[in-house]
Amino acid sequence: MSPVKRPEGDMPYADGGRTPTREQRDPSVADRHDNIDWVAAERSPEFKELIAKRRSFVLPATIFFLTWYFGFVILAGYAPDFMGESIYEGLTVGYTLALSQFVMVWALGFMYLKRADRDFDPLARRAAEVALKSSRSGGAAPSTEGEVTR
Amino acid sequence: MTLFAADLNELALGIFGIVVAITLFVTYLASKRMSSATDFWAAGRGITGAQNGFAIAGDYMSAASFLGIAGLIYLFGFDGFLYSVGFLVAFLTVLFLLSERMRNSGKYTISDVLSFRLNETPARASAALGTLAVAGFYLIAQMVGAGVLIQALVGISFELSVIITGAFMLIYVVAGGMLATTWVQIIKAILLMTATVVLSIFVLGEVGFNPVELFNRAAEESPSGNDYLAPGLFLDTPLDTVSLGLALVLGTAGLPHILMRFFTVPDAKAARSSVVWAVVLIGAFYIMTTFLGFGARAVLGTGGEEAAGDGGNLAAPLLAEELGGGAGTFGGDLFLAIIAAVAFATILAVVAGLVISASGAVAHDVWSNIVRKGRDSEKEEVYVARIAAVSIGVIAILIAVIGGSGLNISFMVGLAFAVAASANFPALLLALTWRRFNTTGAVAGVLVGVVSSILLVIVSPGVWPGPDSEGGAFSFYDLANPGIISIPLGFLACYLGTVLSKEEAKAERGFDELYVRSETGLGAEVGTGRGLTGRTAEPDREPEPATTTR
Repeated sequence: MSPVKRPEGDMPYADGGRTPTREQRDPSVADRHDNIDWVAAERSPEFKELIAKRRSFVLPATIFFLTWYFGFVILAGYAPDFMGESIYEGLTVGYTLALSQFVMVWALGFMYLKRADRDFDPLARRAAEVALKSSRSGGAAPSTEGEVTR
Repeated sequence: MTLFAADLNELALGIFGIVVAITLFVTYLASKRMSSATDFWAAGRGITGAQNGFAIAGDYMSAASFLGIAGLIYLFGFDGFLYSVGFLVAFLTVLFLLSERMRNSGKYTISDVLSFRLNETPARASAALGTLAVAGFYLIAQMVGAGVLIQALVGISFELSVIITGAFMLIYVVAGGMLATTWVQIIKAILLMTATVVLSIFVLGEVGFNPVELFNRAAEESPSGNDYLAPGLFLDTPLDTVSLGLALVLGTAGLPHILMRFFTVPDAKAARSSVVWAVVLIGAFYIMTTFLGFGARAVLGTGGEEAAGDGGNLAAPLLAEELGGGAGTFGGDLFLAIIAAVAFATILAVVAGLVISASGAVAHDVWSNIVRKGRDSEKEEVYVARIAAVSIGVIAILIAVIGGSGLNISFMVGLAFAVAASANFPALLLALTWRRFNTTGAVAGVLVGVVSSILLVIVSPGVWPGPDSEGGAFSFYDLANPGIISIPLGFLACYLGTVLSKEEAKAERGFDELYVRSETGLGAEVGTGRGLTGRTAEPDREPEPATTTR
């Protein structure tokens, strides 16, 4: 199903055996891309940029949502009276904070989608192209069509 | 009619019949499109992001969250809402840490990701153990819940209700695989959302469409008064509340039936958009369950507490009956029947998802890759998957029937989340992100996570020494939710197992490959499915030949 036609059996590694041999086993993905130098791919500036960009969103967002969520949970556990105070005619602090969690989930979800479409996906495509180019196999050159468009 | 009478509710049965007929038709369509293992477990990876979002919602919103949370809010007010918040926020963990990586690096099961860089047999065996523990506890809880609810709502016996539920579950999975399961979940999500929207509109209509008025009316009707709108009536141990919150927010990211859904979409982009679809639906649903819960309190008052049964599970159906015109009227009967049918569809969609994920652990992980070392044919794998699904289903039915309606459901759901958060989540996350992580660490983490969760629940006050006890094995330990201890233990075992064992050269070298693949989607399996209607999820892509790499 991959565009790459792989010869039977494992291909010799051009990188002097640095790439792991995964013996007779079910590949967890369809195409094992045995000829790619994964170490080089991981070290490529394009890949590093992808990781840095994604991390610059995911890390602060994760810290924020965990803080906001556990703040809410801890208040619910340890300060029930405060949570029961009415903000507006029976609308309590607790219910308002709970609703704020919903808004947070939706907002962060949409922000992530936008960032991923705009920033992460093009970077991921580039990192994948670089990895494919780095493959040193003498075999069929991997067709990138349909492979890195994701 | 009264809810607990043994008389048959023909109207409810009729509506059940319609729902079942639709789902069976979908299963028939799906069965014609099943040829490969990818079709069976991953619906040919042809489900669109939006469809998968509905299916995740359908997979996730169990009867426990529909009837259970509405019931908890009815009985205890605000504390029921705490569960909803945790269930929802958990999807950010899934979105940020796992959904795309799972899609990019896995095939059918959690174990695929672990065994990518770790030693195949131990990694797969431990991940399969984690999957089966979670799916098993969850499945039995759902089956018992199904029996109790259908008995109460339709008037057929507990045993027959469990067997009917199990039979339909197995028909969907065995005949239609993941494609049928997905569409049953989508149909259920639409039914459940529609029913909840209609009921919410009726409830809000009672208070002039002013939610704040609803809170006041609910507090007036509660013996606890304004405390009803504050936390603490149900979860009265603060540390326990935090522990529950931790298990909820990390547990979803270890639920095999939810993670498996990400293998059904064509790419990582669809995987992440499906999470956002799901949180929009699930979030809207949970906000509406507060209208149902507070509405049941405002409308039914304390008078409905006995009829609502243990945990208030029948509060929402009773509310529907009352809003439709009351018991004995046609409107009341119709509303009750519709809610009963929706609850049934809800349970069916969840148990089907659980069985198919458990069948993956047995057939794909244990049989195909451990016993047969990947040398079996694809046909054999799907054949074994069907046998596994039937066996797991029959075992769950037997346990539910033998255990009976007295089986403690909420403890088993809590246990499923605790195991998911303490065993599956740490191993998965570290396999994807920690270079040094090795096989010993993964095995240790999963074992410690599973065992500590189970042991801590056994000695917890609600379980030890007998059902519904108030004791607890140790006077110093009074947590009903083990998460705050078992989750750090799971991570610690992963860490210690790794650093105390020899460095595993293969695991570290494999890390580069898994890391690049999971972050970029390079080499990820593409979709081959044509969906239920024969249309591809991505019409702009060239059709590709069926998977034959095995």
